[in-house]
Amino acid sequence: MEFASRLLTHLGPAALLLKAILLSLSGILLLLAFIVFRRWRRGRYFQRLNVRTYVIRTNWDSIVSGRIPARSWRLRPLDCSIVEAMLLDAIETATADELPALLRRLRDSGLLDMRIFEARKLHGWRQRSALVALGRTRAPEAVPALAEALDSPSLDTRIAAVRGLGRTGLIEAAVPLLDCYIAGQLQVPEHVLKNALATCCRSYPSILLSYLNHSRSVIRELLARVLGELAGPDLLDELLVLTADPLPEVRASAARALGNAKSSVALAALAALSVDPVWFVRLRAVVALGSLEHPGRIKPLLQGLCDVNRNVRQRAAWALARVEPDLGIILEQVIDTRDKYALQAFVSELERSGAMDKVIQAIVEHSQDASGKLLLDALTNSKDVLQRGALASAASAGAR
Amino acid sequence: MLRLLSISNYTLFVYYLLSNLIYLVLLVTAIFRNTLHRHRLASLRLERLKASPFTPPIALLVPAHNEEKFIVESVGSLLRLDYPALEIVVINDGSRDNTLEELKRVYQLREARLLYLPEIPTAPLRGIYRSAVEPRLLVLDKDSAGSKADAVNAGLNAATSPYVCIVDADSILEKDSLLRIMAGVLSDPGRVMAVGGIVRILNGSRVVRGDLAEVQLPKAGIEVFQVIEYLRAFLIGREAWAQFNVLPIISGAFGVFRTDLVRAVGGYGSRAIGEDFDLVVRLHRYLQEQDKDYQISFIPDPTCWTEVPSDMRSLARQRARWQKGLIDTLWPNRDMLFRKRYGLVGSLILPYMVLFELLAPVVELTGYGTIILAAVLGLLSHQFFLMFLLFGYAFATLISIGSVLLEEMTYRRYNRARDVARLLLYCLFEHFPYRQLTMIWRLQGIWQYLRGDLQWREMKRTGLSESSPSI
Repeated sequence: MEFASRLLTHLGPAALLLKAILLSLSGILLLLAFIVFRRWRRGRYFQRLNVRTYVIRTNWDSIVSGRIPARSWRLRPLDCSIVEAMLLDAIETATADELPALLRRLRDSGLLDMRIFEARKLHGWRQRSALVALGRTRAPEAVPALAEALDSPSLDTRIAAVRGLGRTGLIEAAVPLLDCYIAGQLQVPEHVLKNALATCCRSYPSILLSYLNHSRSVIRELLARVLGELAGPDLLDELLVLTADPLPEVRASAARALGNAKSSVALAALAALSVDPVWFVRLRAVVALGSLEHPGRIKPLLQGLCDVNRNVRQRAAWALARVEPDLGIILEQVIDTRDKYALQAFVSELERSGAMDKVIQAIVEHSQDASGKLLLDALTNSKDVLQRGALASAASAGAR
Repeated sequence: MLRLLSISNYTLFVYYLLSNLIYLVLLVTAIFRNTLHRHRLASLRLERLKASPFTPPIALLVPAHNEEKFIVESVGSLLRLDYPALEIVVINDGSRDNTLEELKRVYQLREARLLYLPEIPTAPLRGIYRSAVEPRLLVLDKDSAGSKADAVNAGLNAATSPYVCIVDADSILEKDSLLRIMAGVLSDPGRVMAVGGIVRILNGSRVVRGDLAEVQLPKAGIEVFQVIEYLRAFLIGREAWAQFNVLPIISGAFGVFRTDLVRAVGGYGSRAIGEDFDLVVRLHRYLQEQDKDYQISFIPDPTCWTEVPSDMRSLARQRARWQKGLIDTLWPNRDMLFRKRYGLVGSLILPYMVLFELLAPVVELTGYGTIILAAVLGLLSHQFFLMFLLFGYAFATLISIGSVLLEEMTYRRYNRARDVARLLLYCLFEHFPYRQLTMIWRLQGIWQYLRGDLQWREMKRTGLSESSPSI
């Protein structure tokens, strides 16, 4: 010690540097020691984990059936965490027959209660991991604890709670989510909420309708978006009403749902939406029309092919290029539109779907008359349209 | 003269101390942010994001210039990515080799008569191709304008998805990387305008059919030094700057951007040398000028593996080019410096970039010279001189080891004990003599830029080999 203090006095201004060097070197040594220690500890942990996982896996059936009592593994932290992880994994992939036994074990062993307790009493990442685990249990009694966490001041905790509720896949879990959201108290990323609602409401999408009818603006749009993914033919009447909604996102979602419903009753409504003033509503309507197997869809799809929006044109072309075996007739109708962009989109889609060769073959076979030659001309010249289109757009870009 | 030497030494001392202190703050911030991120990941299930109907489509823009060696494998690897709605736009940027022919052969490309609107002006397009076997693939064949930026801009014109991800053709994305990076975007889609992922070094790892089969540390020392540099730059630098929402750069090898926004700023600067840095600075400028509440973020777990120079000559060229890119972006944006309007970007990150990135080679190399001169002339005590050098070395090594520690605590891609031991060993040599070499190359970059030498110099590359354990 005396030597050190004498050295520091001797060094003068360099003493500060010496201290800094010593500090840095100590830091290096500490970091190195920490890395080595951590690797050693992890190695040992995984070794133990491996051994215990093997033992538990070999006795798995007895653990699930209760022949091995819960007290034999419940109070050993490592064993308990392994059994819980295995139970939750099993629950996620369990069939309806297997689920009750797994849930019973979760309840009997007190694991479920412990997680509910942690979700209510703990904070930070421990609370969040409890919420995640509760969601994975798919147990109805987890829902209240998950719902309480929706009010948490921490965004991460709220997200974990919403994801947890979604993961249960229970309609009971949708109720607190919807109540909280409609009341404007749930501030979480939209994507997280939509996914959770889509999972919870899958078995009973009409629950969304009752909330949708009492909501406005952003909330209404989000609910309509979820409904658009889930609604089936049983909600056809309600969806038809929504096609006249003042909000474009709601109309687009209704179009999407009508496409999923695949009912020809929706044809008139979708045809009306295909000329909507908002481009993404028209896009959704054209996509939905493409999924209908009804000859009446051709006319609105041809209109879509002449749309001012590139995306709408492409989707209409995609749908039309798959209307076999009438592609020759459709090609004639496309030419009749006198819209070169429409022709170009359609020809491109024919080429991509591999139907072009068939169309040419059919035209060659029946090309005795002038109209057949006209069709062939249209097909061969459509490349010029591309060049003209590109030149025109380049010129307009230059002018801007 | 003596007074000048004294001032110079004093300046260098303060400069060095300040730069190390900043890095220490960045290290602590990065550890904090990394820990938070890993806890957040606990509640995220990627398979749910994949199955979700609400996950937005992404267009992957893959500029390819003379990439015949690995373009097929690279596109194959991209097509195998886990993502529900993918659009892959490969831009053959005037390749003189068989890049396009290889793609035509394997993916049965057919010329498509699509309407292409050059919203962002680019070199002329020769053709647009679609695959007969893979509907998600679109290939643009264009004349080369001599820059990657021009190729990316052509891809931007053709993309139809709301988000674009720019990926180098010689890079490999991990299978779940798009889902992971999009989780970052979807955490707040209204605010998050762009997200960068981590870029790691592929050299030394085993690649099978365009996919990463086994991660290994490269054998050559020059490559290991770059591994440490990348770990420090991404796991500490970008992670910490993102915490303050002043991320200055999203790597050109892997980043996701909102398509409308990139189009709004005119795409990549086609004459920019450091196009990735240039784009992010222009995005900051645009969003700040619009008074937008936004976030440009970094997420450390979506990973892109890329090849780095394995010989001194290529590395020297790369570093000189990076330095030229830095000046080329900072100079036109100098009006953002210390302007209140540009928030922390103007008052924190850009001054940092000027002071500790742009001027680093000048200050450091001049400093070494003046310190040695002062020691020779007896103006500086030999003890002080040695201790100063030793302190600089020890502190910088501490930060490098800190980045290896972060890697160990978080993503542990280098699992073998031997690899970690080598990484730690190389940390001891990174700051002498490797650092000084990079400083010389960077100084060369400044000199070349001032002389107007902005020529792109080819880098020697070996390609992704299936049979060889190393690339």
